[in-house]
Amino acid sequence: MGRRANSRFVLILLFLVSALLLLSSLYSAQASVFKKAREGVIDAASPVLALLSGPISYFNDVVGTVSDYFNVLEQNKALREENAELRQWMDEALALQEIVVAYEGLQTYQAPPEAQPIDAFVIGEANDAFARSMIVNAGRAQNVESGQAVVGENGLVGRIVDTGSKASRVLLLTDIQSRVPVYVEGADIEGILVGKTRGEPVISFTNSAEPAEVSPGQRVLTSGAGGVLPRGLPVGLIESQRRDDIIVDLYTNYARTRMVRIINYEFPGIETNSDPADNQTGDEPPAPAEG
Amino acid sequence: MGYRAENLLRLLKAAAPTLLGLFGVIILALPIRLFEGAVPTPIIPLVVVFFWSIYGPDYLPPLSVFFIGLLQDLLTGGPIGLWAAVYLVAQFIALSQRPYFLGREQKVVWIGFVLAAAGSSLILWLVMSLMSGVLLPVRALLFQMLATVMIYPVFAAAFSELHRRVLVEV
Repeated sequence: MGRRANSRFVLILLFLVSALLLLSSLYSAQASVFKKAREGVIDAASPVLALLSGPISYFNDVVGTVSDYFNVLEQNKALREENAELRQWMDEALALQEIVVAYEGLQTYQAPPEAQPIDAFVIGEANDAFARSMIVNAGRAQNVESGQAVVGENGLVGRIVDTGSKASRVLLLTDIQSRVPVYVEGADIEGILVGKTRGEPVISFTNSAEPAEVSPGQRVLTSGAGGVLPRGLPVGLIESQRRDDIIVDLYTNYARTRMVRIINYEFPGIETNSDPADNQTGDEPPAPAEG
Repeated sequence: MGYRAENLLRLLKAAAPTLLGLFGVIILALPIRLFEGAVPTPIIPLVVVFFWSIYGPDYLPPLSVFFIGLLQDLLTGGPIGLWAAVYLVAQFIALSQRPYFLGREQKVVWIGFVLAAAGSSLILWLVMSLMSGVLLPVRALLFQMLATVMIYPVFAAAFSELHRRVLVEV
């Protein structure tokens, strides 16, 4: 009986320890000790996750093909329609390409800074009601850094939050902590895409004081504000609007995201190294004139 | 069988519930996505914690429960200590109702598990809502807990076989 009481005491003690940890992570969510611990655990678990996620994705593919048989006719029809639409877009793209070539000839067009993409597989996922993240098999060894954008085959997936040496965590756009600066194409609206844990995130904190006017179907892209993400990554389409919140239908389907590309982007910014040199050459001539 | 092998086997038996709990956490971190993600992954560690707290508390001490929860916190990237606290509360509920549940029908114990799952959900929801500053939608959590409650009888039956035939066997 004494042993039982002892065990009860340990239980309550450990509960208090957990509560204390929880409180401290409330006040310092990004505390370096916790971050290190998370990154260490991702690293340690990544071989196991990689090993186990192989057969799972094979199984998912098989199940996927079986269910595809049932709606192959519908899919065919939809694909044909989409194809016709894409042909129109192709014509337009070709026309635009000619214009770009012309501009390049005039040398007024500056190519965006080079981004080196890093490809990775999704090996883990937080199957948690409130935490939305994925674990991918690329880390510091592949030059992955916190804050980098992660895109899938259709659009933005999320951004890197923890980096281990060979695996990292991607915070998805639907996570409650996710904040990504975006703009709406053709509407002159910039805002922040905020995760809501449910299916679709919303744009809030827009730059206009009046309720923003958007129409469903308009494209949402990353704005590049803050300089962490490149501008112009496709995010999704506007679905509807409810008071101040603009609901966004993401291009990415998280249930199908297998392979992602991490964008190693560096904000072009003001080149601090070359600036002083420019200033010196600019300043030098006036100096002798004064003296 | 040698003395050392016997010792190793005994150790493995004693650690089996803890290892199962840790494995349950790994399963939670895998991209299983049943039916295109329509069915949430059940929280198997909760079943492990509840089951062994009732039928063999000596096989799953609070320290094991704490580490199972901690691993889950670290692996899912949530606030540290949350799942540890949730599992410890589930264990506390199970331990406090243990004299009542022992020897009862599985159906009755199942209802007990539903209560423990409800208590855990409430803590999860309260803490996460507090941390994010808004009342979070509960649907995803309810679905996941429902999936966990649905698989409980199957896993409890398997665990009970394992416990009686392998772990307790002298």
